[in-house]
Amino acid sequence: MSDEEHHFESKADAGASKTYPQQAGTIRKNGYIVIKGRPCKVVEVSTSKTGKHGHAKCHFVGIDIFTAKKLEDIVPSSHNCDVPHVNRTDYQLIDISEDGFVSLLTENGNTKDDLRLPTDESLLTQIKDGFAEGKDLVVSVMSAMGEEQICALKDIGPKN
Amino acid sequence: MQGFTATSTPDLAELQSTMRAIEHACTSIQMHLNPGASEAVILSLGQSSQPYKTCQFILENSLVATARFQAAAAIREAAIREWGCLSADDKRGLISFCLCYVMQHASSPDGFVQAKVSSVAAQLMKRGWLEFAPAEKDALFYQVNQAILGNHGIDVQFAGIKFLESLVSEFSPSTSSAMGLPREFHEQCRRSLEQDNLKTFYRWTQEAALSVTNRIIESDSVVPEVKVCTAALDLMLQILNWDFHSNTSDTKINVNVFSAGVRQDGDSPKRSECHLVQPGSDWRDVLLLNSHVGWLLSLYAALRLKFSCEGYWLDCPIAVSARKLVVQFCSLVGAVFLSDDGKMHEQHLMQLLSGMIEWVDPPDVVSKAIENGKSDSEMLDGCRALLAIANVTTPYAFDRLLKSMRPIGTLTFLSILMSEVIKVLMTSNTEEETWSWEARDVLLDTWTAILTPINTINVNALLPSEGIQAAANLFGFIVECELRLASATAFNDEGDSDHLHASVSAMDERLSCYALIARASIDVTIPLLTRVFSERVARLDQGRDIIDLTETLEELYSLLLIIGHVIADEGEGEIPLVPNTIQTQFVVNDVEADKHPVIFLSSSIIKFAEQCLSPEMRASVFSPRLMESIIWFLARWSRTYLMSSDGIGEKIIDSGHHHEHSSKKALLCFFGEHNQGKLVLDIILRICLTTLASYPGEKDLQGLTCFQLLHSLVEQKHICVHLVTLNSWHELATAFSTEKGLLLLDTAHQRSLAQTLVRSASGIRNSEVSSQYVRNLMGPITSYIVEISSKNNFKSIAQQPDIILSVSCLLERLRGAASASEPRTQKAIYELGFSVMNPILVLLEVYKHESAVVYLLLKFVVDWVDGQITYLEAQETAAVVSFCMRLLQLYSSHNIGKISLSLSSSLLSEAKTDKYRDLRALLQLLSSLCSKDMIDFSSDSIEAQGTNISQVVYFGLHMITPLISMDLLKYPKLCHDYFSLLSHMLEVYPETFAQLNSDAFAHILGTLDFGLHHQDADVVSKCLRALQALASYHYKESGNGNIGLGAHTVALKDSNGNVQEGLLSRFLRSLLKLLLFEDYSLDLISVAADALLPLILCEQSLYQRLGNELIERQANSTLRSRLANALHNLTSANQLSSSLDRINYQRFRKNLNSFLVEVRGFLRTM
Repeated sequence: MSDEEHHFESKADAGASKTYPQQAGTIRKNGYIVIKGRPCKVVEVSTSKTGKHGHAKCHFVGIDIFTAKKLEDIVPSSHNCDVPHVNRTDYQLIDISEDGFVSLLTENGNTKDDLRLPTDESLLTQIKDGFAEGKDLVVSVMSAMGEEQICALKDIGPKN
Repeated sequence: MQGFTATSTPDLAELQSTMRAIEHACTSIQMHLNPGASEAVILSLGQSSQPYKTCQFILENSLVATARFQAAAAIREAAIREWGCLSADDKRGLISFCLCYVMQHASSPDGFVQAKVSSVAAQLMKRGWLEFAPAEKDALFYQVNQAILGNHGIDVQFAGIKFLESLVSEFSPSTSSAMGLPREFHEQCRRSLEQDNLKTFYRWTQEAALSVTNRIIESDSVVPEVKVCTAALDLMLQILNWDFHSNTSDTKINVNVFSAGVRQDGDSPKRSECHLVQPGSDWRDVLLLNSHVGWLLSLYAALRLKFSCEGYWLDCPIAVSARKLVVQFCSLVGAVFLSDDGKMHEQHLMQLLSGMIEWVDPPDVVSKAIENGKSDSEMLDGCRALLAIANVTTPYAFDRLLKSMRPIGTLTFLSILMSEVIKVLMTSNTEEETWSWEARDVLLDTWTAILTPINTINVNALLPSEGIQAAANLFGFIVECELRLASATAFNDEGDSDHLHASVSAMDERLSCYALIARASIDVTIPLLTRVFSERVARLDQGRDIIDLTETLEELYSLLLIIGHVIADEGEGEIPLVPNTIQTQFVVNDVEADKHPVIFLSSSIIKFAEQCLSPEMRASVFSPRLMESIIWFLARWSRTYLMSSDGIGEKIIDSGHHHEHSSKKALLCFFGEHNQGKLVLDIILRICLTTLASYPGEKDLQGLTCFQLLHSLVEQKHICVHLVTLNSWHELATAFSTEKGLLLLDTAHQRSLAQTLVRSASGIRNSEVSSQYVRNLMGPITSYIVEISSKNNFKSIAQQPDIILSVSCLLERLRGAASASEPRTQKAIYELGFSVMNPILVLLEVYKHESAVVYLLLKFVVDWVDGQITYLEAQETAAVVSFCMRLLQLYSSHNIGKISLSLSSSLLSEAKTDKYRDLRALLQLLSSLCSKDMIDFSSDSIEAQGTNISQVVYFGLHMITPLISMDLLKYPKLCHDYFSLLSHMLEVYPETFAQLNSDAFAHILGTLDFGLHHQDADVVSKCLRALQALASYHYKESGNGNIGLGAHTVALKDSNGNVQEGLLSRFLRSLLKLLLFEDYSLDLISVAADALLPLILCEQSLYQRLGNELIERQANSTLRSRLANALHNLTSANQLSSSLDRINYQRFRKNLNSFLVEVRGFLRTM
């Protein structure tokens, strides 16, 4: 599917500051890791040894934070892994267009119009209804390794 | 679904149509056609009123076996429910119908129907047990006895025995079926059966078995009598399994006070698993004096000869049952034997042993036969019999038993047998559980049973010298095998991830048993272990950098585990003593203390371990796994030997005790504070530093170092005092607080390290110095946090992985330090937390999307507040409380109304779990704050600063309850915490609750309602207690002319015009509904009574109305008057008054109990 495209995209502008090296042994569950060039959230870490009297190695199971694909990797504990720089920014939602794209208000007063809401039907109607009712919605956008996606939504009133 | 009509005399057509309906439902269920509807049809039969005629008709006429089965089940269900309304004749009629049915259809196929009917008869008989006159019971049993005697043929005999079997199991508390009656009922039945009938049943069974024995022995093929004999053997076994009470002097307590011949040591956990058979002296004639055992043994001997015949084999049911009964007889003990110095008991055991010894002797021949395909069951049962005998005899008596028939004692035999088993185990060496596995475990238990007293008495008093020799031989063989196994598996790579933990705890039991065997012959085994250890070390030295040492490393790994178990005990939180045999077996003079075998062994291990400090040795020899065993060994060893209370040693010299203790004294002095102790401690610390700094990424090893070794060193005050004077300790502290290296440790390990380092302050005598030590240790960490959180660009760099990593590490360290707070360091820890209060809020804001960091922040605050709150002065409390409130507010503002939009379902569920953990932490925080009102060590009252804890906590609850969705309450721990806090709050501060605004109020009531219908009885009882608190508060207050809960109790019209009931009415209604119509644990009745009483008192008129509704709904006039009566009694029996004192509560509990027994059955009828 679209995974391939993502792959190229991220490679194209993955600069040095997009990821940081970190010792494999220090990466824990719920942390982030780059597996096969994709930023992942770690959902499982286990350690084992290379032979009974060998050194420890870590086995990571990660979930791609953008595509939700499951990825795995094995790294010696004392080696470094790449950890993605995952940023989250909150924007106020100012409009939802017919095709699911949203218009967001940035901190310096400009608008950002290149993101779309998740495709899940029920969630989408929930958001659209809420927005139509005049609720103030804040959208969290997650970005890492040159990709962005809306990851959370929050209703900040107004209460009636 | 409409019920089946319940006219008293249904006509034939009606009966047949019902039968057809049931048959149809049963067959369609089997074919999975419309199972829901069919199930409803079947269920409705049992739920209808008086379905007995119909059921009997089905049983007698239906050709569909499952329909008959369901009819029997329906009889049971209806009769148990309607028991109170049945006439005495009906009751007896039902039982005797079932009995007759079983006997008449004894030879019909479909045994499961007969079994069901038989068990229904047994259950009904139990239900009426206490009300039937003895003559009535006798009449019923006469029939059974006739059957068992064999007067009506083999099949009926079998049916009779099977009926007794279900009866006995119904009366035995662990296997009885629920009848909706209080526990006392079951207990009375049990006692009555044991006193009046059990022995008679046994005798009948014996007679039945005897009557068929000759037929079995004489014939060469299977005869029908075998079935009867097997059933009889099973029933005997079951009766002997009975938990006999009545012969003890105190019938209530289940202890073997009377068992004179039995050892009373209760220190073996295994012991409890072995069931001792202890009928009283009146069983002597049935069990012992009529050569019953002789009959059993000869029966089995005869069976053995038939195993080649058709229809018999080693595991045929009758052989299995006979062997089980033999083993059971080995456990026979107590007053059933004459008090003749155990002669009669010994005779009995000797007879049994002579019968079963052939099963296992000679061991090598038997084991070979098994390897060639013979069944292993005789071997295993033989081992079990030995275990049973070991459990009821002293080692001397145990050893003597075999001598009359073999040239060796039983202990020597046991040692040979076990060596054989281990040999087989080693050669097969598979993962799957083979017979040798099981045999080894049983035999190890046998050794444990024999040797456990070694921890308290002298070996020579415990064991004959041959026995000691046998133990020595066995242990030598065990060590040899373990080493062989180690080197054989050294290259296995099965990816056993948490190997040390898993293997130690899995092996722990086995190893402690090996240790017992080793300690039985300690003067041989310690030199043996020393020799083997030095050999392996020498092999390492020679082979280093030349050959692959993996096999030797693995051998050393095993050896260290074994040695650790032999020379030291675990202690389980206490300080373990030097094992008794090590204390007493060695005689050494002070001058040559270093030649003491245990000292010599310990020293050589420490010397070996010390070599890991050199980088070259580390690279070539000290693999992470070897280090794990070293750290494990040092932790275990140091708890017993290192600087272990020299005081005790000296006291012993003073009191003039002689060489008996000189071994212990030498040991403790040698590693004491004035001798080698400090030196060894220093070595241990340097080894720790090495594992933490030079084994990057070896989490298991570092975990052991932090959690086991360092933790246990600091736990021991006498060690801690020296610890803090050592340079190596300060090197560790400095490395921790200022160097980057230790930031690479697992965060949980950093937390533990912080805790350990702070806790060691208790070893510093001067309190000012110890506070300063904590400040120096944690200062750099807090200042980093303060600094980074105040950086201008913090918001933009905060999300960088390296910043997240260091913030998380430092928070974990703060949390570790906070949880180590002790009175003396409390001030310093308070300052530490105080200085990061604002930064914490900044971090919470910045990392609001980073759930892992949020959780750390919350946990730090929870631990810090928990450790501090009771010590804080008013002003400090006010500061902490307002900080907590700001934290709660901030957290809630970030999370309320937030929806996570991840594509991945597992990430969504992770997000939910994160939320659950956060909320749980917040609830803990509120609970800690709550405790300030209970325990407060401060000098002035906190009210001085205007802090009202109850308001604060309610405010907090108000903020977080909207975050706790009903979905989240499905997490048991969160649910438990939430309801604990809620019921505590409502019990202690009902007045504050009354002041909450209506939203918060409604939410809390909603959760209470949810909790009332929760499946966890604990949660329900918490909610009930909360309800009790609310209602009784309101009742008392309004009695005094106050408003109590005020407006909340009055019915209101909401905005849509619907009437909202007041809270007390609402809960009165739902509680009554729960009690009368729903399923709940019987244990809840008394708590429910406590809640119901004040509710009724508050809402009397509603209660009257509900009662009347109930009565009117009842169509049947007898039932209606019973219900009216019961309702009347509920509120008036036992001089119930309208006050809320203890006595009144107690009376009401009784009333409610009898009320429910009276009416619940028929109210639940459809």
